[in-house]
Amino acid sequence: MICVEHLTKEYKRFVHKNGAFSSFRNLFNREFEIVKAVDDISFDINNGEMVGFIGPNGAGKSTSIKMLTGILTPTYGKVVIDSINPHKERKLNAKQIGVVFGQKTQLWWDLPVIESLRLLRDIYKVSDIRFKNNMLLFNDMLELYKFQDTPVRQLSLGQRMRADLAAALLHDPKVLFLDEPTIGLDVITKERLRQFIKEINANNNVTVLLTTHDMSDIEKLCSRMIIINYGRIVYDGSVEQIRMQYGKSRILCIEFEDNVPNIKIPYCTLLKSEGKKLWIEFDKNEISSSKIITQMTENYQITDLTIQEPEIEEIVRSIFQDINTNPNGGM
Amino acid sequence: MKIFWSFSRQAFYNMVMYRFDFWVRRIVLLFVMYGVYCLWNILYTQNAKELEVNLNQIITYGILGVALQASLITAMGPQRYIASQIRMGSIDTDLVKPIDFHLHMLARNFGETAFRFITATIPTLIIGFIFLGFELPCDLFNGFAFAFSIALGYLIQFSLNFILGILAIVSVDIKNISWAYISLVSFFSGDMIPLWLFPTALRSIAEIMPFKCIFYIPISIYIGNFSRIMVIKEVLFQLIWCIVLLLLGRIFWICAYSRIKIQGG
Repeated sequence: MICVEHLTKEYKRFVHKNGAFSSFRNLFNREFEIVKAVDDISFDINNGEMVGFIGPNGAGKSTSIKMLTGILTPTYGKVVIDSINPHKERKLNAKQIGVVFGQKTQLWWDLPVIESLRLLRDIYKVSDIRFKNNMLLFNDMLELYKFQDTPVRQLSLGQRMRADLAAALLHDPKVLFLDEPTIGLDVITKERLRQFIKEINANNNVTVLLTTHDMSDIEKLCSRMIIINYGRIVYDGSVEQIRMQYGKSRILCIEFEDNVPNIKIPYCTLLKSEGKKLWIEFDKNEISSSKIITQMTENYQITDLTIQEPEIEEIVRSIFQDINTNPNGGM
Repeated sequence: MKIFWSFSRQAFYNMVMYRFDFWVRRIVLLFVMYGVYCLWNILYTQNAKELEVNLNQIITYGILGVALQASLITAMGPQRYIASQIRMGSIDTDLVKPIDFHLHMLARNFGETAFRFITATIPTLIIGFIFLGFELPCDLFNGFAFAFSIALGYLIQFSLNFILGILAIVSVDIKNISWAYISLVSFFSGDMIPLWLFPTALRSIAEIMPFKCIFYIPISIYIGNFSRIMVIKEVLFQLIWCIVLLLLGRIFWICAYSRIKIQGG
């Protein structure tokens, strides 16, 4: 459905000069440096797949989305969405995609939500029957009827995002691009949006590419994630796989009956101790948890034991940090 | 072409939203019309010869100018929407829609203008007709020529505004240029004072600029101040400017768009 090959986007950035008359000299400044926002990325997304696109701020996620939607022209490389080249046939591509920019609205500020949707119906040439059916769906899943007559500028962020999502799906797009759809939303609204996206994906076989900073979006929605940093793909694979590959460490929390004894266990690092509690970290490939636990219960009086798997957020953070300290290293 | 109708409907909803503004504008319009009526009356009694046309003609000119100005508002053109989209960084949302941006702006502006034409211009003219001696066009030819001419005037005004809007994409802020531009248009378009009353030097400048196409030519045709040959000549003049400006707007847009596509919005 989406095919991206060697996609690269370079920007010219004018070099800002300092020193005497700097503001005047900057007026005539022709010196620039080339910044690579997206650097040679390639991936394929199959029909009906839901893919999470993550990376720190400024990693090139939004630039990539803009190239996929036809707003930006790639400097090099190729994008094909269902056999259409987005930047060459922007309007044709626009008909088959839906886009939500979490930070902006595509609804008209002064209009009631329903009027914006009617306008979009005419722009996208959606038939009356399809419009009616989709409105039923939106009313059912997003409770659009509760605020459909309110002007967009008076909506709460959660309502606005729901309305924006409805606007993006009104014309039954094949591909849905969501650029930070859950930014700034409360837990309940987030959950409702996720449920809706899931439903749309399952029922209409819509391909979804979403960027987010919220790892629970990824865990709840996506089977696959692409991690991008400094414009390059550093990970592309399933969510389970990243756990297996990077999440080998476990944390064991032990609560003793008396004070924490002074102990040393092979292959383990002591993280911290606090009152009667002790946290130790170990690599599950080097030593099994049962081995540690038997050792401990044999020698000490223990009241409680818990093992923590690393959070996906923790894993991603460690990947980001790895690259930050060694930007050219790759994985 | 359904979208032209959709945008007109949208303008209606905006009115419902800003009801107070709507009525204040309509009432002020009546006062302005009355003011213009009084002004030309006084000027006529003082110096009828200098005005070159009879009293009914000049009053019709004044009233039509005021009424048309209420729908063809230079300051409310597409440049306002474009500038605000650029400022809020929302131009992307216009570019992900399957509609040509130039056409989108025309449809949006046409909808608003058509709405104002029906709710402001026509009622004002009816009141002017009943109470202040506003006249109907002297014959059918002038009537049709006026309709065609004002349509061209509208397209010319739209194109000039659109080009200004494109400048907003390039320079982000157009507040100062806007102010100068609006003054320039309102002076040279002849909506208040007909061009034939300008001093010779100023008039020769005004005659070649596109601004007179917006109000001066259509209104002069309406009051029958042009001979038929003149009407055809002036409409041709409008037609040429209209094509030139539409093309220029297109070229400006293509340049700005490729700049957005390459440099980012």
